[in-house]
Amino acid sequence: MRLFNIKRTIWAALAFGIMLSLGSVAPASAQQQAPADEAALLLQLKGGPVTGRVSIPDAKSGVLIQPQGRDWRQTLEGPVKSAGGWLLVLTVVALAAFLAIRGRIKIEHGMSGRTIERFKGIERFAHWLTAICFVILGLSGLNISFGRSLLLPVMGPEAFTGLTAFGKLAHNFLSFPFVLGVLLMAVLWIRHNIFNAIDMEWFRQGGGLLQKGVHPPAGKFNGGQKIIFWLVVLGAAALAVSGYMLMFPFYVTDIAGMQLAQLVHAIAGILMVAVILAHIYIGSIGMEGAFDAMGSGQVDVNWAREHHSLWVKDVTARGAGDD
Amino acid sequence: MLIKKSSTTGAAPQKAGGKLSGILAGAALQTMDRRGFLKASGLAAGGLAAISALTPAMVKTAKAAPSSSANLVKKKNICTHCSVGCTVTAEVENGVWVGQEPTWDSPINLGTHCAKGASIRELTHGDRRLKYPMKLVDGKWTRISWDTAINEIGDKLLEIRQKSGPESAYWLGSAKFSNEGGYLFRKFAAFWGTNNIDHQARICHSTTVAGVANTWGYGAMTNSYNDIHNSKCIVIMGGNPAEAHPVSLQHVLRGKEKNRAPMVVIDPRFTRTAAHATEYMRIRPGTDIPVIWGLLWHIFQNGWEDKEYIRQRVYGMDDIRAEVAKWTPEETEKVTGVPGEQMKRVAELMAKNKPGTLIWCMGVTQHTVGTANVRALSILQLALGNIGVEGGGANIFRGHCNVQGCTDLGLDVTSLPAYYGLVEGAWKHWSRVWDVDYNWVLSRFQDKKFMETKGIPSTRWFDAVMIDKKDLEQPDNVKAMFFWGHGGNTVPRMPEMRTGMEKVELMVVVDPHPTTAAALPDRKNGTYLLPACTQLETRGSRTASNRSLQWGEQIVKPVFESKPDHWILYKLAKKLGFEQELFKNIKIDEGDEPNVEDILREINKGTISIGYSGQSPERLKEHMANQGDFDIVSLRATKGPLKGEFYGLPWPCWGTPEMKHPGTHVLYNTNLPVKDGGGAFRARFGVERNGVSLLADGSYPLGSEIQDGHPEFTYGLLKKMGWDKELTDAERATIEKIGGNNPDAVGWAIDLSCGIIRVTMAHGVQAMGNAKARANAFGLPDPIPVHREPIYTSRRDLVAKYPAMADRRDYRLPHLGKSIQDKDVSKDFPIILTSGRLVEYEGGGEETRSNKWLAELQQNMFVEINPEDAARLGIKEGQNVWVYGPENNAKARVKAMVTPRVGKGVAFMPFHFSGFWQGVDQRKNYPPGADPIVLGESVNGVTTYGYDPVTHMHENKATLCRIEAA
Amino acid sequence: MARMKFLCDSERCIECNACVTACKNENEVPWGINRRRVVTLNDGAKGERSISMACMHCEDAPCMAVCPVDCFYKTDEGVVLHSKDLCIGCGYCFYACPFGAPQYPQVGNFGSRGKMDKCTFCAGGPEADNTKEEYAKYGANRLAEGKLPLCAEMCSTKALLAGDGDVIAQIYKERVSRRGYGSGAWGWATAYKSGTAA
Repeated sequence: MRLFNIKRTIWAALAFGIMLSLGSVAPASAQQQAPADEAALLLQLKGGPVTGRVSIPDAKSGVLIQPQGRDWRQTLEGPVKSAGGWLLVLTVVALAAFLAIRGRIKIEHGMSGRTIERFKGIERFAHWLTAICFVILGLSGLNISFGRSLLLPVMGPEAFTGLTAFGKLAHNFLSFPFVLGVLLMAVLWIRHNIFNAIDMEWFRQGGGLLQKGVHPPAGKFNGGQKIIFWLVVLGAAALAVSGYMLMFPFYVTDIAGMQLAQLVHAIAGILMVAVILAHIYIGSIGMEGAFDAMGSGQVDVNWAREHHSLWVKDVTARGAGDD
Repeated sequence: MLIKKSSTTGAAPQKAGGKLSGILAGAALQTMDRRGFLKASGLAAGGLAAISALTPAMVKTAKAAPSSSANLVKKKNICTHCSVGCTVTAEVENGVWVGQEPTWDSPINLGTHCAKGASIRELTHGDRRLKYPMKLVDGKWTRISWDTAINEIGDKLLEIRQKSGPESAYWLGSAKFSNEGGYLFRKFAAFWGTNNIDHQARICHSTTVAGVANTWGYGAMTNSYNDIHNSKCIVIMGGNPAEAHPVSLQHVLRGKEKNRAPMVVIDPRFTRTAAHATEYMRIRPGTDIPVIWGLLWHIFQNGWEDKEYIRQRVYGMDDIRAEVAKWTPEETEKVTGVPGEQMKRVAELMAKNKPGTLIWCMGVTQHTVGTANVRALSILQLALGNIGVEGGGANIFRGHCNVQGCTDLGLDVTSLPAYYGLVEGAWKHWSRVWDVDYNWVLSRFQDKKFMETKGIPSTRWFDAVMIDKKDLEQPDNVKAMFFWGHGGNTVPRMPEMRTGMEKVELMVVVDPHPTTAAALPDRKNGTYLLPACTQLETRGSRTASNRSLQWGEQIVKPVFESKPDHWILYKLAKKLGFEQELFKNIKIDEGDEPNVEDILREINKGTISIGYSGQSPERLKEHMANQGDFDIVSLRATKGPLKGEFYGLPWPCWGTPEMKHPGTHVLYNTNLPVKDGGGAFRARFGVERNGVSLLADGSYPLGSEIQDGHPEFTYGLLKKMGWDKELTDAERATIEKIGGNNPDAVGWAIDLSCGIIRVTMAHGVQAMGNAKARANAFGLPDPIPVHREPIYTSRRDLVAKYPAMADRRDYRLPHLGKSIQDKDVSKDFPIILTSGRLVEYEGGGEETRSNKWLAELQQNMFVEINPEDAARLGIKEGQNVWVYGPENNAKARVKAMVTPRVGKGVAFMPFHFSGFWQGVDQRKNYPPGADPIVLGESVNGVTTYGYDPVTHMHENKATLCRIEAA
Repeated sequence: MARMKFLCDSERCIECNACVTACKNENEVPWGINRRRVVTLNDGAKGERSISMACMHCEDAPCMAVCPVDCFYKTDEGVVLHSKDLCIGCGYCFYACPFGAPQYPQVGNFGSRGKMDKCTFCAGGPEADNTKEEYAKYGANRLAEGKLPLCAEMCSTKALLAGDGDVIAQIYKERVSRRGYGSGAWGWATAYKSGTAA
């Protein structure tokens, strides 16, 4: 049955009507018709889709022509891939440069030998669950965007398709634990990540990253970490929403929505990868003692005093690290 | 699992031999030839013409392609889905139909198909087919053998015959029979002893046949699809060929384009056809006569009629003038809803663009005034002088693939084959043809009265089951019902029909599919399903709408345990004890299969009146083998062995096959000699009436030695003309034998020698006379068509002025009209309900809804509602609604389609659905595995009473309903 | 070398769906996969037109450009084909395609898509011509047999044309000049960046 008159825009019909009344083609005397001209119609629709009625119950098949596919392709091929690619390259270069210039940030007062519990098991579980998923999601995602240029020539089509198909499968399935991890972190840490005046000071001093010996005060999370937190939470939300739209194609949206979802997903993904690269840097080679926080969960007291002085005070005051 | 061919067809010809080799000789080359031809005639041929795009390299590839399918053979048959008659080319490998190819050579479809034709291969694979005989045992479908089925059915039939007489068995046949199957079915019913035999013509064009036959002689399309190429004006009224006859639109649109012809669509619904019209006229359903009279008003007013044509060839036009005068533009607009200005514009278009063709279908015929509608349309064409000319005509697009043939061969309650009627002379003629004693045939009937009495129309069979015996003019009610290739959901009043189905003692469904009849009634026992094969699985001829006969080859053997109709009829006749008489001159081949060619020869022998006599099996097969030699506009062979003949020898093809009449492309065409396919209106209604001559006045077929009108020829008239000497001795002997002691009375139509035809034709004279067409068809209930409001009408203000016909009796039954119309139900049922077709489905739809390639395209039954009505009723696109009918608490639950296709206050439903009943899924009622893929409510679950007085055609285009959100 | 194209003359298209079922028939396309479809614009109103649409085998095919695994290829005749062995069912080609041509069988859990399927211009796929393997994956290879796509060959009104672009454009042009009207070759501007030649 021809029931699916999907989203025919009113002005599609109007445009058609206008075209008819204008009579774009000179008709023979007996002819009263002057049907629409495609080019004019497309112009009239300003790049919107030409839609009509189909008898099959496949709503999306009612779109006859969707010129915005071209825009999507150009955005993806152009800004997203090139800018995104450069962004990632520059991120790596910048971090390398930072390491070269600033060197590894040492614990100024050396290891005290005494540790303090910074993250409990559940927190570290949440972090690593998210982290492991993200690495695979990120790699498989980057492969979708850049693999054709980088890996395909090296691997050959069959092996590359095998890898990419596996990556797609992993990408789809790991999205669930990833989202779970992010949700867990959000629940556990959100109250520590509200920005306040202390963070302003922290930012004013550049987090102490740029100069040796400067240690602006910070709570459990410093300003930089809070930014990471919110980027992760919001970025993951964007990735999850757009990702699930891609995973359940056309369930909640039409072709334009799908294209938007894909772009959002790609852009958010690349940005997240860049952010997380920095996060990984500072949590590992970038700073002495930082990794332990998520490694064993126990950090050296001196490290803690230098980077999270207020938190140490707080924990010490209460006598026991309750969180 | 369908396996497609795995190799090229290019390789096939190398291995193919015999009669097929001609067809097969080089697929690629063949298409190139065809392209050249098309290009030469200036007819760009779609994808075909583009084959020139193929580089030599590609063609070479084709030739060099490996051959792994040496067994691939091509077979030609005719599409079984509609009356256009598209040739289907099948590729068969090891007995399996593996692929379809375009048949470029067919002058009718030029390679093309519609959705149904392009998916027809599925039919011979379909796992939804009825696979073996079954019967209902305590409500369960049980597999039985053919022998058991025939025995049990036969025993029950004989019991009913004993108890209630032969009239209590009803033989509902099919427009999907081949000519041979249909003819045999009609003969079978005669030998059983009843005229209760009918088929789908009753519900599609019975009113057309009655209307045009009563106007000018023959009940058939006057021209052809191809001839529309010559039309300067194309008017389509009450028809949606874009969906019902898609391939016909190729010819319509080519005519429109080539001649820059205006194309007018007159319809209550903006159809797919209307989308291509230059002018669309929306009318209120059931106002066809006012529309035509409204057009004629302008034509007469402005003197646009063809006065000389009317003078020479039309009787009683002045009586029409008097009636038309009442239809002033104001009155017409008031009744029809058509703006006066548009009415005048269309009248002028028709008058000033000649020749013009008028095409109509079920929108005109399926009315309580169906015959009168048809008459009005015919009169309009007569007034414009458009009948009997190329490019003109009453182009009645018939429905099923062989509805024309089966009508011609008398699957009808009113006639023996070839419209001889039921009078004693007709029975005697056919007894001679059948080579049986007239008295033996008579002995098969209740008595002579019933032998000569019209049977019960298929639209009313269930009335004959349920009605009180005293109101039924036959010995007993109908007790045994045969649905032989006939869906159960195509006539109105299904709630009552369902009760009728439950009440008969024996119900037999003979069909490739179980059909609605198997699933609808709540029966526990006494239902038999017999799997008939399709025409693709047997051979025989079928008659397309344009009267061309086409021979179909058997593509594959009948699938599963299905059997051809003629095989089943043979078995049943044997059981009933009259197979010796039924097949007296028909050979029974191996496997108890009656010889199809022999049946056609018997048809040829007897159907002299309409010229089915000149087409022999051999001639038809030769036409199929040389399709490419025919011109696609004139349908005449321009080269080859058949040069000069019309494609498919469209009837009338006068005389014997040996006389080599070319067939008649355009009926009543005086511009050609009779022997070349010319003719004149048939002298069927006497020579004069009230002192006015009914014979033509100075008009005659080209080359006629009688240059004026004349009556039908008899042996006596032949003698008077002095032409009897030209008869051969054998012809004279035959005539004298037929005539007994009054040989002069032997008419041309019962002259089995065809000598009278031969001799008159030699003098350029048409044996069936040369008369005027009747604008006044005295003898019909409404000799001058008058408007009558539908019996279910929402325009109560018009009822008094345009009342329905008074209640009456006909066809052994009461026939109500006025008494129903007098009851006003329009308050509760305010929306006009009309119905029609979808391109993907056909008829009752079981076959097409079982085809996965088609079923996917239309998955839900729906009702079209105008956006204004939908807004008022709070109904949204795609939601479920209840449609209620005014009789029997009828209701149907369907999806709403909100669309401006229908006008305000009008709703439309397609009629191909069944398998849902008042909201309940009936899938479980079908035999397991034979249920159609798509089921839905039947529109006829809610449609209502109403019958044409002449043919008892049902009213299916103008009733009332109420729609509510479900 | 011929450059294969489709052209749908909407003045002729009556939405009979022959192209759709011919495609199903010739290629044994399963339920739910619609390599070709007919879309009706302005349904039920004056100016209503139907257009049969499938893969247009574009000049600069967007599907080819965006495919992450580069599974598409173009034949010498300009037919855009793909390898189902390489396709991962990501759906990008559908987002890029102006004509909604790519189709995906729903396989496995959630909306996950199987190998993409689309109109091949009846030209099969990467496997050897007219082998069982090719047929199973891609359907018929009529071009290799010297024939054209069945949808166009069977089109009831010869609205759908297939073949060399120049030839079918010429046929269309002649039609338009003969009848005096034409609404353009739908999709040509988008697919071939060329006018409708009308």
